[in-house]
Amino acid sequence: MNARSPAAAVAWQFHRRHRWGLIALGAYVVALAAIKFAVLGGQRFAFRNDESFAFSVIVPTTATFIYFLAVFTFGLDGDIAARESIYPQRLFTLPLSSDALAGLPMLYGCVAVAGLWFVTRVFAVWPAGARVPAIWPALLAASLLAWTQALTWMSYPLRGLRVVITVLWLSSIDAIILAALYLKASEPAMLAILAPHVPLAYLVARAAIRRARCGDIPNWQRAVGSHSPRQRRAFASAMSAQVWFEWRRHGRSLPILVAMLLPFELAMLFAFHDTRGIVIEVFMMILFTPSVIAAFVAATVGKSSTFTHARPMTDISLITAKLKATLWSALLTWLLVIVTTALALRLSGTASVILDDVHWLSDAIGAPRAAIAIILAITFLIGSTWKLLVQSLAIEMSGRAWLSKASLFATLSLIAIAFPSLLWISHSKRAVAALWNSIPWIAGAMVCVKTLLALWIVSRLFDKRVLSERALLIGAACWCFAVLALSAGMAAIFPDIILRHYFLIFVAILQVPLVRLAAAPLALEWNRHR
Amino acid sequence: MMGSSDPAIAVSELTRHFGAKTALDSVTLDVARGGVHGLVGANGAGKTTLIKHILGLLRAESGTVRVFELDPVADPVGVLSRIGYLSEENDLPGWMRVDELIRYTRAFFPRWDDAYADELRRAFALDPYAKIKNLSKGQKARAGLLIALAYRPELLVLDEPSSGLDPIVRRDIVGAVIRTVADEGRTVLFSSHLLDEVEQVADHVTMISHGKIKLSAPLRSIKESHGDASLDEIFVAHAGEA
Repeated sequence: MNARSPAAAVAWQFHRRHRWGLIALGAYVVALAAIKFAVLGGQRFAFRNDESFAFSVIVPTTATFIYFLAVFTFGLDGDIAARESIYPQRLFTLPLSSDALAGLPMLYGCVAVAGLWFVTRVFAVWPAGARVPAIWPALLAASLLAWTQALTWMSYPLRGLRVVITVLWLSSIDAIILAALYLKASEPAMLAILAPHVPLAYLVARAAIRRARCGDIPNWQRAVGSHSPRQRRAFASAMSAQVWFEWRRHGRSLPILVAMLLPFELAMLFAFHDTRGIVIEVFMMILFTPSVIAAFVAATVGKSSTFTHARPMTDISLITAKLKATLWSALLTWLLVIVTTALALRLSGTASVILDDVHWLSDAIGAPRAAIAIILAITFLIGSTWKLLVQSLAIEMSGRAWLSKASLFATLSLIAIAFPSLLWISHSKRAVAALWNSIPWIAGAMVCVKTLLALWIVSRLFDKRVLSERALLIGAACWCFAVLALSAGMAAIFPDIILRHYFLIFVAILQVPLVRLAAAPLALEWNRHR
Repeated sequence: MMGSSDPAIAVSELTRHFGAKTALDSVTLDVARGGVHGLVGANGAGKTTLIKHILGLLRAESGTVRVFELDPVADPVGVLSRIGYLSEENDLPGWMRVDELIRYTRAFFPRWDDAYADELRRAFALDPYAKIKNLSKGQKARAGLLIALAYRPELLVLDEPSSGLDPIVRRDIVGAVIRTVADEGRTVLFSSHLLDEVEQVADHVTMISHGKIKLSAPLRSIKESHGDASLDEIFVAHAGEA
């Protein structure tokens, strides 16, 4: 292709770099249109409630919006927690002004997200007949994108500060919009509120690029005073060195990011200590914060380089180091969350709200069962945080970008198909009954698939001599113990008459990670010895 | 048990494709123990691909690679623990400080020599508290060389180590280090497209072009058989390119 202008060249670069994602998106829109025309035949299709609308329209739209955020901020190319601007350095050498470097990606991004809204609106309004606003959501999407661009292209004095400032600033914009909606603001009023955002974000982005282009990166660490770091003693083993490496590279991101967000969440306990409902909501929000952040951090955990591949360690040792570092990461994060939340609940006088619920649970199912339920819940939260950190290792460690993208696309497609399907089922009592009756069969089938996949992976690990027989046996024993412990814990809470115990075993088998974790050494072997 | 007459590296009929491009075409090469083996060729000739096979970072599509009689893919620990490697890309982790890089690397090598590492750090004028990402290209090359040398590896593999570096760093690498390692009886495999650089230190030269070995012989016999022509001229005569 011959780009006739710098603007066309920059646009072409976005298209060339993300063509498969954009093609997939186009195919999804075409498929959606085909379904509307061919299946519904132009009939009006009313959503039953707001939840139906949200799942059918908002979920795929939000997923696409997040994808656009990653594309147009260059977030897929850089380290989002780094102090340096995430804007690609190579573009700074182009003979383009900083105005153009900031303006062109912002323009293309805003057009893309606004276009996304208008396409969504067409499908939502016709033939579904949903009442949705016309223009301001497009301007909101453009504003959020523009601010995300400006804040991610900015250089920061501390590592991780970018994530905190971006999340807080975008949340503030969301809060203003929600307040305006609560006050039933008209469309022109919403437009007036949102109109200044894109130009302001552009000015901030332009200033950020001007500074980043000349390498102007603030450094609070240096400002506090230069000191010689203390000498540390030598590592006891290669494994401890590699765990340190993984901890420094990926492990500490989760506790640091959670520590940055927690003060704001805990402050809400003090601000709303009189309102029981908000206290419960904030408490739940705090409990799910580590998992949400872990989902984002996980994208970097699986990354490895030639430097790591050239270490004289086996594939399984390199994976073990990652697993250990992530386990410490999850444990430290939860220690931080539990200690600070307990303190905040006590100091804000809101502990009684949570303790009332604990007493209610204890009265309802008995103290021993309540204790087991709480222990299981805490174990589940810690375990799911760790699981989120490591479950994509098998994909990321393969070092194949196409596999990561295909996995992301498959997940989004599954969400886009699953939610409307479940909604369709929920419309029919007979379908709901049939689904309810077949849940044990579905769970059984999933257990069979998981077991077969695990056996195949184990045989591959054994054939390729990635794992020794002893290591395989120890791994299998640990996994069986975890499944049995989880099953026993759930069986103690749920009597057989409520949930069959074989079903609880199915749930435990599906919950305890096996296939993706076992596939990680194979993925690394595939990447390390291409 | 490996005898001293066995080659340090034995590559036999190694072929590798990247899509439609043949990167290595039935390459057979023995690198004898001791001395400096220069691997020369134009950019894209297949030097880095061959070195990546030797390190086990690429799996042989066909043919075999043995380093100290070990398969580097099947036994990465056995091979990598005996090799010091400095790559052209110099992918050292930028977030580490120099002292952290040294502390981290020494954990992998029981034969790490602290005194020698400190000597090299001082000789290379590396600030222990400087972050790798803040070092200049030449300093990064020196840091990479330090961690490749400090455990006195049996085989030192240098992939275009002085590419794009200033003459002082090149002198450090070529003049001081490579000869010292070879004089201690260890083996150096040294790839470069700078033929005069190879001519200064190599005992044995292998010329590679378009994935094929064009010539592999002791430097002295190459020079004698070509009437003392320069390596540049000999390379053009065999590979048809400079």
